Amino acid sequence: MDMNEIKAIFFQECEEQLAELETGLLAINDGDDDPETVNAVFRAVHSIKGGAGAFALDDLVSFAHVFETTLDCVRSKQLEPTRDVVKVLLKSADVLADLTNAARDGGSVEKSRCEALVADLEALANGQVPVSDDAVADEPAPEAESKAEPADDDESDFKPVPVQFDDLQESDAEFEPVPFSFDEFGTDQAPAGNRFKIAFKPKPDLYLKGNETLLLLRELDQLGTLEVDCDWSELPALDALDPEGAYLTWNATLTTAEDEDAVRSVFEFAEWDCELEITADEDAAPTAGEAEPVEDGAPETDEGASPPEPAETAAADDAEDAAAAPVETLELPNVIELQQAANANKQDAAENTAAPKTQARASATGAGSTIRVELGRIDRLINLVGELVINQAMLAQSVTESATAGSSAVTMGLEDLQQLTREIQDSVMAIRAQPVKPIFQRMSRTVREAAEMVGKNVRLVTEGEGTEVDKTVIDKLSEPLTHMIRNAVDHGLETPEDRQAAGKPAEGIVKLSAKHRSGRIVLEIADDGAGIDRERVRQKAVDRGLISAEATLSDEEIDNLIFQPGFSTAEQLSDISGRGVGMDVVKRSIQALGGRVSITSTPGKGSVFTMSLPLTLAVLDGMVVSVADQTLVVPLTSIIETLKPENEHIHGFGASGQLISIRDSFKPLVDVGQILNFSNAPTDPLAGVALLVDSEDGGQSALLVDAIQGQRQVVIKSLEANYANVPGIAAATILGDGQVALIVDVEAVVSASRNGALKSEMSLAAVG
Amino acid sequence: MSVESQTGTGQLQLAENLDLTAVTPLHKSLLSSRGSALVIDASAVERIGGQSVQLLLSASKSWADDGVPFEIVNASNNFLSALALLGVGPDSLHVKEQTQ
Repeated sequence: MDMNEIKAIFFQECEEQLAELETGLLAINDGDDDPETVNAVFRAVHSIKGGAGAFALDDLVSFAHVFETTLDCVRSKQLEPTRDVVKVLLKSADVLADLTNAARDGGSVEKSRCEALVADLEALANGQVPVSDDAVADEPAPEAESKAEPADDDESDFKPVPVQFDDLQESDAEFEPVPFSFDEFGTDQAPAGNRFKIAFKPKPDLYLKGNETLLLLRELDQLGTLEVDCDWSELPALDALDPEGAYLTWNATLTTAEDEDAVRSVFEFAEWDCELEITADEDAAPTAGEAEPVEDGAPETDEGASPPEPAETAAADDAEDAAAAPVETLELPNVIELQQAANANKQDAAENTAAPKTQARASATGAGSTIRVELGRIDRLINLVGELVINQAMLAQSVTESATAGSSAVTMGLEDLQQLTREIQDSVMAIRAQPVKPIFQRMSRTVREAAEMVGKNVRLVTEGEGTEVDKTVIDKLSEPLTHMIRNAVDHGLETPEDRQAAGKPAEGIVKLSAKHRSGRIVLEIADDGAGIDRERVRQKAVDRGLISAEATLSDEEIDNLIFQPGFSTAEQLSDISGRGVGMDVVKRSIQALGGRVSITSTPGKGSVFTMSLPLTLAVLDGMVVSVADQTLVVPLTSIIETLKPENEHIHGFGASGQLISIRDSFKPLVDVGQILNFSNAPTDPLAGVALLVDSEDGGQSALLVDAIQGQRQVVIKSLEANYANVPGIAAATILGDGQVALIVDVEAVVSASRNGALKSEMSLAAVG
Repeated sequence: MSVESQTGTGQLQLAENLDLTAVTPLHKSLLSSRGSALVIDASAVERIGGQSVQLLLSASKSWADDGVPFEIVNASNNFLSALALLGVGPDSLHVKEQTQ
């Protein structure tokens, strides 16, 4: 593995750490006082710092160092994590993320921004709790420098609370940990941090090679508070003793702020010449798999005293915890192979040290083993499975057409194959499915920054972060979501003064939620602002010629005007949402994902934007229909019902339009064949089938087709990528008979039926 | 335990440097003192390694098994701090408290 690969892995790991950091800080902000949360936050920054140090990313290291110092104060309960404090910490997390990105992609982060935050952080570490933002920002702590080192010059009132947590193994051997010492706190106070049980039994070779137990223990002692117990039960009497032998076992308990790697690194050169066992005390229940005994060469004693069994002792000590938090006892190679990928920058260290570490982490998070795979490989697999599905359909078709159709063995085999193919496809799609959490996390930053820019007080509440959706959808969600969140902060919420005047709390709430609903993911962005000012929206629409002054519009229609191109109601163009990008662009990008977006608004109570998106862009359930001798696929998600039109339900409308009455309400009847120019002659409604579909504006239309062939899952093949953009067609697929079938862009077709022609830009709308 | 007034008490002066090279000679010295009360002077000790402490522990244990007094006196600070780091209580080695 070359340096660049390691570096790439480091940055991947950084992303995870940053996400962890933000999650933790937000949890603290919401009142989470679990010491483990603070520890997780601290670890995240510490790991980034450690890794950055290894790559000489000095800006990152120095900022992380100051950040870490302040977090250490929070961890040691010197600093109360009040809202104001967390605000500074969150901002620091943002800067840390920017610095990480700058280190990865080049570029830089505004120096003044870093400096201001460094001053804020140092002030916090120095005990200057901010009264307000400005107070901190404007008055950097005069004694800031004195606190630059993490807590090693503060003996006065520091009351460290020993907190045991088991998985402080974030930084690893590859990335040199940056140790700091708690030695000067005074010996009677244990430093906050980890507790490790270390069982150490040297072999004679250890001494022969110039290593010395005393020096090893001294090094350990320098990591924190060390309690050592020497077990000399195996020691023979003087005449039976080989003076150059090794008979003693040391059992030590180390309380340290360092992680297990740091502890292990003490034994780096002695590891092969001793029996060594390091176990995280407390929660991380040690298991047999964690022990790394070096079996051979241990001298037998003449007296035959039973050898100490540190592993069992430790296990017994932690039996209670073990019951509470069972640890997977995976085979060592498996752990390395699987967990290594998840915690990718541990790879080189894995051989010697990763096993206990990764197990401990797995036990702490309760997470199963994960593997990190390049997206390209999964895409390839998905494409292949797509081909398999098509192939299987083609095979089924040819069997049906061939003479073997009657053979039950062939038919059964084919059914099994079909079942299997479907399962494989589902499993492969599940690989791509990811929770929306990372993107939600990014939004919290968007909210913070937007709120700051417009001087509002906003809290983001998220719900359903675990909702899973295809990776391609996630990747494309970020932009529209960011825009809508900014919009909610900028336009949706009122200023704190206005809110208070309206009897609301000064702090506005933007709620972002995700959930699955009938095979789609539904995202909602709700604000508790003033709601849409319909008068103003209407006026603006009239001013811009979007609607006529006399038009009668329902509330819903007025609300949906904001999705019209070029519509912006902000009196002043603001920095954040007045960039010439309107909600129409948001709507279009959602449509391009096969999604729909709508808005509901209640005056005085706020607005809710609802986005509904397909869970994947790779397959869709479609209804296969015939239109003018062509086979088309209509996405099932847009079809509400199908019906056979009857004469009395068809009504003429205008010159050539037709309406169909369905349960006493009239819907436009859209002749798909004509719209798509498959035929010039109008389709006879009575001979065809009507598909009732939803359209974007909340209305419904009936698509008229010749016949329904069936319903099946189809693999989406992009037309843009393989041919060109075709108005009214979202994509294509290959059917079982090998024929290409086009997937109808329902929205574009419905819209074309109103406007008389397909517009090319509408074809962005898609397949959901 | 005190051996000051007893007769036949062996005296042993520990060397300044009790590293790997010193353990075998020390082992021999101790073996030769076996059977009689022993007072070991640790005032000169600057450096002491795990194996030497191991040897002294074995000696202490053997003397105790024999029921013969064994004592370490005038322990230097380095000697005491090494014992502390190695988790060996002064009692285990019958280290007599510093009087000077």
